[in-house]
Amino acid sequence: MNKTTSLKEVEKRTYMSYHQDGLLDIFVGVYVLLFALGILLMTVTDFSTWFVIPAIFPAIMVPIWVSAKKQITMPRIGYVKFRSRGANRLMAVFLGLMVSGLGAFAVFTFASSQGWALTLRNLIISNGMIIIGIGAAAISSLFAYTMGLKRLYAYGLLTLALFFTGQFITIPFEYFLLTIGLVIIINGSVLLMQFIRKYPLPQGDEVNVEKPL
Amino acid sequence: MSKNPSNLKNIDRLIHEPTRLMIMTQLYVVESADFLFLQHQLQMTPGNLSSHLSKLEEAGYVEIVKEFIERKPHTALELTKKGRKAFREYQQNLKQVFSDLPK
Repeated sequence: MNKTTSLKEVEKRTYMSYHQDGLLDIFVGVYVLLFALGILLMTVTDFSTWFVIPAIFPAIMVPIWVSAKKQITMPRIGYVKFRSRGANRLMAVFLGLMVSGLGAFAVFTFASSQGWALTLRNLIISNGMIIIGIGAAAISSLFAYTMGLKRLYAYGLLTLALFFTGQFITIPFEYFLLTIGLVIIINGSVLLMQFIRKYPLPQGDEVNVEKPL
Repeated sequence: MSKNPSNLKNIDRLIHEPTRLMIMTQLYVVESADFLFLQHQLQMTPGNLSSHLSKLEEAGYVEIVKEFIERKPHTALELTKKGRKAFREYQQNLKQVFSDLPK
């Protein structure tokens, strides 16, 4: 009997159950879509402030997401507060990504004066789409593993496949992002509809089904 | 297995009951949850869940906070320190029982 694994499975199942509503997908999809629109509008109209929208979106996303959870999810399946251990793990993933990003930025800056790094930079630039695809797939997989949400692996795979294709055909980068954002939003919306159908709101007194303890 | 399976005597029977074990396990992996979430997660009827919760509350393993949120009754549940300790001990004791069994 492996109780450690079993407890982890229960924890992951709880996470999955809490995120089966598709709200997370919709918000991630909207973010990717805004990011793509920001780039698209910047290139089309040269109106660079559009790029600010995806940058400030996370700040306004959290209260909206919490409110959506309160209005849609909690009345249907109840409320759960996860232990800080899980939140710490996610924070560690975020920090790891930030450090990796800073490291990559440092290497990129350093590259201008060093021969070997310059070659590396040129290699990155010439294979940009594949590298971004691999990076996005890795980040998705990391979150999928940490949160136990298997569909994030699929999003990662989709991103990798599209960006890999993008390396060989001349379609602008932002159109691939638009496609990914739309696919994630559509999937999130389907999940949300399934969730609402599966867990209808309790009618009238059914809300008070708890027997006196 | 030891000739006298004394480890079995250490098994907490209150936790060992399957339904209560499910409740304890579910509450152990989260910080807190409400009655509705637990009911959905464990697929239990309200009556069954509340009767087991009462027993766990009596033993001091579960803290039940009843409150009103936006004029709706809300029951928040969480394991107490005693409950978490009891669950860990239960894990250890059960592990010991199985490790004592002959191969």
